[in-house]
Amino acid sequence: MNKIKILIVDDELIMRESLAGWLERDGHAVQTAASGEEALEKVKETQFDIFLVDIKMEGISGLDVLRSVKESDPEADVVMITAYGSIPSAIEAMKDGAYDYMLKPFDPNELGVLIEKIIHHQEQARENIYLKEQVKERTRFESMIGQSQPMQGIFNLICDVAPMDSTVLITGETGTGKGLAAKAIHTNSSRRNGPFVTVNCGAIPEHLMETELFGHQKGAFTDAKETKKGRLELAHGGTLLLDEIGEISMRMQIDLLRVLEDRVFYRVGGTQPIEVDFRVIAATNRNLEEAIKAGVFREDLFYRLNVISFEMPPLIQRKEDIPLLAEHFLYRFAQETNKPTDKISREAMDEMMLYDWPGNIRELENAIERAVVVGKEREIFPEDLPIFCHEPTPAKRANSLMEVEKTHIQQVLVANQWNIARSAKILGIDRSTLYSKIKRYDINKVA
Amino acid sequence: MRLKSAHNIIISPVGDFTTDLLGPIRDEIKRIYGYPTEVLPLLDDLEFAYHPNRNQYHSTAILDQLALKAPVDAIKVMAITQADLFIPILTHVYGEAQLGGKACIVSTIRLNEGHNALNTQEPFFSRIIKEAIHELGHTFKLRHCREHTCLMHYCRNESDVDRKSDQLCRYCKILLDDEIKRLVK
Repeated sequence: MNKIKILIVDDELIMRESLAGWLERDGHAVQTAASGEEALEKVKETQFDIFLVDIKMEGISGLDVLRSVKESDPEADVVMITAYGSIPSAIEAMKDGAYDYMLKPFDPNELGVLIEKIIHHQEQARENIYLKEQVKERTRFESMIGQSQPMQGIFNLICDVAPMDSTVLITGETGTGKGLAAKAIHTNSSRRNGPFVTVNCGAIPEHLMETELFGHQKGAFTDAKETKKGRLELAHGGTLLLDEIGEISMRMQIDLLRVLEDRVFYRVGGTQPIEVDFRVIAATNRNLEEAIKAGVFREDLFYRLNVISFEMPPLIQRKEDIPLLAEHFLYRFAQETNKPTDKISREAMDEMMLYDWPGNIRELENAIERAVVVGKEREIFPEDLPIFCHEPTPAKRANSLMEVEKTHIQQVLVANQWNIARSAKILGIDRSTLYSKIKRYDINKVA
Repeated sequence: MRLKSAHNIIISPVGDFTTDLLGPIRDEIKRIYGYPTEVLPLLDDLEFAYHPNRNQYHSTAILDQLALKAPVDAIKVMAITQADLFIPILTHVYGEAQLGGKACIVSTIRLNEGHNALNTQEPFFSRIIKEAIHELGHTFKLRHCREHTCLMHYCRNESDVDRKSDQLCRYCKILLDDEIKRLVK
């Protein structure tokens, strides 16, 4: 490991020497400067990682050294050394970009902790830059695929957001990869060695949600033969993904809000408070602000979740990723099904590029899976993609996205003899979502 | 006046220390560093380094005096004291050493949970021995080690000292061997 380069700037010889001796024993490469002028000269010759600068000096003051250092090397961290009387100047220095300040004399443990903290912070910043550079030309990030501008933006955003411990709200249409984005945040966070626990709020029936989230104590109700840990408890030390948060009931919203605020909850039937420490990522395809206006989503929960938010782009906005995604799915399903399919014909690819993919990546994934399964050749042709078998295509005829969606759902349902499970899979949505769409669009089974 | 001695390491107690403690320290120094080690008081008191404002003793000033009074042939000299030590920039230190130099000092007071009276019980004894070996290590150019069990690991409190072993890690052993070879030349 390279030695950390530290410059001590203090006009008192005894302070310089005692601090330098201490830090050298810690294994750091230490230089000293007796004035601000000397410090700025040394900066021209050496790139220091950390500066320990006395605020009160004759000539160029500590604050001037700070400003000059931050101007020439924003990555360097400056710690101001101060006496009790100079605390206001130290606070001013913090506004000018100082990392921290220490009161003379320092507690050796506090000094050690501070230096370690700065080293860790600089390592993280370097890792972040490295990660971003890696991502720049990459078409893959964790399990996400995409070379398009919107996806490169998402990869960069995840790099920025991951190291923070803030709550993240990921919005976006169904099938855009919100779950994969959440997993990528977890994998790139300091909680990466902790669990990643998903709660699909839309898939768990209301009456089971409470025990699913909070767990239950043995004997809490008739079927509670054993004590069971809930998802919140299982996520301790890691990340909790609340998927389809927009589908959660008002009652559960209250319970969830309380946990997010206090980080403490009780198992169903339990009397002991359980403390939990996890990062929350919530995902939804609903417009929560509209849900608030409609009175079905709590505003306070929304603000608790919406600390950092971003939207996953729909596939229609990143069409240049379709060939890459299609190739990826083709390879995966050919391997899984042990079929020799290894090519997508130009015509099939053209059709895929023209299609609007309302079910997004999940719909594309299912279409490729089906094509691999039903295809007879090594190559996939348009006729292997059932979504293109119906002429004319709804997108070309319809006027609005809702009409396109309704027509498409109708066609898939008819093509699959109203088999809900199969239709939902092809559409790339959950069965419960399909049911709600059938109801919303008033789609009827015609005999 | 400088005293004469063979090529050895000197333990220089300042104040009342019994052989119950000095004996095991001497044995451990010999085991780790391989030099004959003897007990030889060199400083009568530490009043010259006392700072009334802080009610503490300036360890760097003590090291300067210790190095001056060290026998010509002594390889290293280590003072041991019950006084509370400081360096100007820090509130306190467990000990101090001249990195790659001749002198070092270790204080027992903060290893004894702040009690003045010399404690002869475990784990107090082990703590002093470990920190004495640690400070002496700096005079052999060893720096703080990241390995938590290594004697050269910097300890923030007594329990950290209790946790580390009575051995140098493999890496520090190699660096020590290199330095001893250099000194022999």
